[in-house]
Amino acid sequence: MKNRALRTLFLLALGVAWCGLFAARVQAKSVTDTTGCIVDLPDAPKRVVSLAPSITEIVFSLGKGDLLAGVTRYSDYPAAAQKLPRVGSYIRPELETIVSLKPDLCLAVKDGNPDKVIQRIKAFGIPVYTVNPDGIDTIIRSINEIGNLLNATSEARAITDAMGAQLEAIDRTIAKASHKPRLFFQIGISPIVSVGKNTFLNEMIRRAGGENVVTSKTPYPRFSKEQVLALAPEMIIITSMARNDDFDTMKQEWASWPSLPAVQTNNIHVVNSDILDRPTPRVVEGLAMLAALIHPTLFEEAAR
Amino acid sequence: MNDTSRVRGRLLKRILLITALLSMVLGAAVLLGLATGPSGIDLTPVAQLVTGDSQADSLQIAIIERIRLPRVLMALFCGAVLSLGGLVFQALLGNPLAEPYILGISGGAATGAIMGILAGFARVPGVSLTAFAGSMVTLFLVLVLSRGESRVGRDAMLLSGVMVNAFCSAVIMFLISISEENKLHDIMFWLMGDLSSADMPQVGMVALLVLPCFVVIFLLSHKMNLMLMGREMARAMGVSIRRTTLILLIATSFMVSAMVCQSGLMGFVGLVVPHILRQVFGSDHRVLVPATIVGGGAFMVICDLLARWIPREGEIPVGVITAMIGAPLFIMLLKRRAR
Repeated sequence: MKNRALRTLFLLALGVAWCGLFAARVQAKSVTDTTGCIVDLPDAPKRVVSLAPSITEIVFSLGKGDLLAGVTRYSDYPAAAQKLPRVGSYIRPELETIVSLKPDLCLAVKDGNPDKVIQRIKAFGIPVYTVNPDGIDTIIRSINEIGNLLNATSEARAITDAMGAQLEAIDRTIAKASHKPRLFFQIGISPIVSVGKNTFLNEMIRRAGGENVVTSKTPYPRFSKEQVLALAPEMIIITSMARNDDFDTMKQEWASWPSLPAVQTNNIHVVNSDILDRPTPRVVEGLAMLAALIHPTLFEEAAR
Repeated sequence: MNDTSRVRGRLLKRILLITALLSMVLGAAVLLGLATGPSGIDLTPVAQLVTGDSQADSLQIAIIERIRLPRVLMALFCGAVLSLGGLVFQALLGNPLAEPYILGISGGAATGAIMGILAGFARVPGVSLTAFAGSMVTLFLVLVLSRGESRVGRDAMLLSGVMVNAFCSAVIMFLISISEENKLHDIMFWLMGDLSSADMPQVGMVALLVLPCFVVIFLLSHKMNLMLMGREMARAMGVSIRRTTLILLIATSFMVSAMVCQSGLMGFVGLVVPHILRQVFGSDHRVLVPATIVGGGAFMVICDLLARWIPREGEIPVGVITAMIGAPLFIMLLKRRAR
């Protein structure tokens, strides 16, 4: 009698376990990421490792910062991200640290994260979803994708709708511009580095109503001062990773060349690179700032 | 007859004893290397892995087997190859300052490898092949340049090596100055020596390429002894100096370039390890060749674990550690010898 009861209990337990397993399998979803890889995802990821500062920022903007188990170095926005465990930089993620955090999802970026490390993370059975935010439209798509993964679809939709509305407003204002200033965008001071045609920043310049004087196909070409003088930009915008006195020194150096149209009209500016070159929701703010810098009168009118 | 066999027996015993002694050091270094992770040194999981404890944390075991083990093995091969390379070059040139770097072999391999990286080749086999081609070109240049003396002269070879090396570093600088930002990062880390991306297939390939070279060099170790006694002496004993030199140079360049394209540049290993071992165990190359392989491996495994253990976050390139340990040690050895 007792034996039988035990056996029934055992079978019941087995049945429950089976159902649990089955349910778990049904719950897991299979999606295809931007790189065409099929990723088997947990239904509700609980431990997410972000492999780029921009992804960290997107996850926080969706209100899902508490899911993050680890982030890369330089994930400094928002402030809460600074307290999370570090897993190396986004160019050199540390495999062992990532694996030992036992994540159930890794979020990677296509350009930057080394493919070899990504493959080895996958070999540990950890799903890796790769986004490719390389332009304004793809940033919006990446935010929606990450929103879907983390069960924050409506939050993502709200953010991207707001971004879309802001973008439209900027486009409308820029459409009134009669002239697109020829602009030299300087991202490196020593050596002088600018941005070429097929880059995200080139898209930002175009969309903000400027014309990039650099038409090189090299993404980040180097320049000598002489070459910049020959390009005769009407406007110079300087941005740099390191924030110190270098900018003002650089500004003064350009100012000593009065033949430059940008110097004649006193059109040399220094901008914060963080909101310009990180593919995050803040990028629209960056675009608005850039547009206002390039077409100050138009935006003053619009604000009125 | 009886006498020579007794001498041979004693030599064999000495080789085995010294190798076994150093193997114990190497074993300890490997265990420590496996126990070192970003959060410090923890021997428990390693002990569990060795004893086959079923209660072990499977994730910890996977990390040790699949991340740390390939890396430790790569460091082992790297140290063995570079140290043995140094030993061979020191014997061939009769110059205690010789090592793969001095002869421009590493520089040539580096130039070839960077060209491969810039061309966008995969590490294996693309970059490996360009690295080997680079080292072969420099070896050929050094041999041709030093032929003015009608034989492979020692000083002429050393000087041509220095010059070829200077030329290579100029080429490397040029390549760096024209390379794109995203590849620059890759190249810089590689130039500093980097073992962090080692995996098992890589280790297997390195072993396949390098182990035959170890055997060849060991078989020629007695001839190295004779050559060190002087050319006339060696010739009288029936050693073909030119052929032996050539085989040794090719075997050494081959294994060094195979290693350099996987691990990047690491200095001083080839200088320090053979020196220490020669001071302790004498100058018989039949003893020194196996001792250098095992001892060099242990040295590099320790350097690599320091590189992972010292910084609080991230890691230091191993090349920095080898130079930081190697250079002062080398100066100390020189000072003591001068006294």
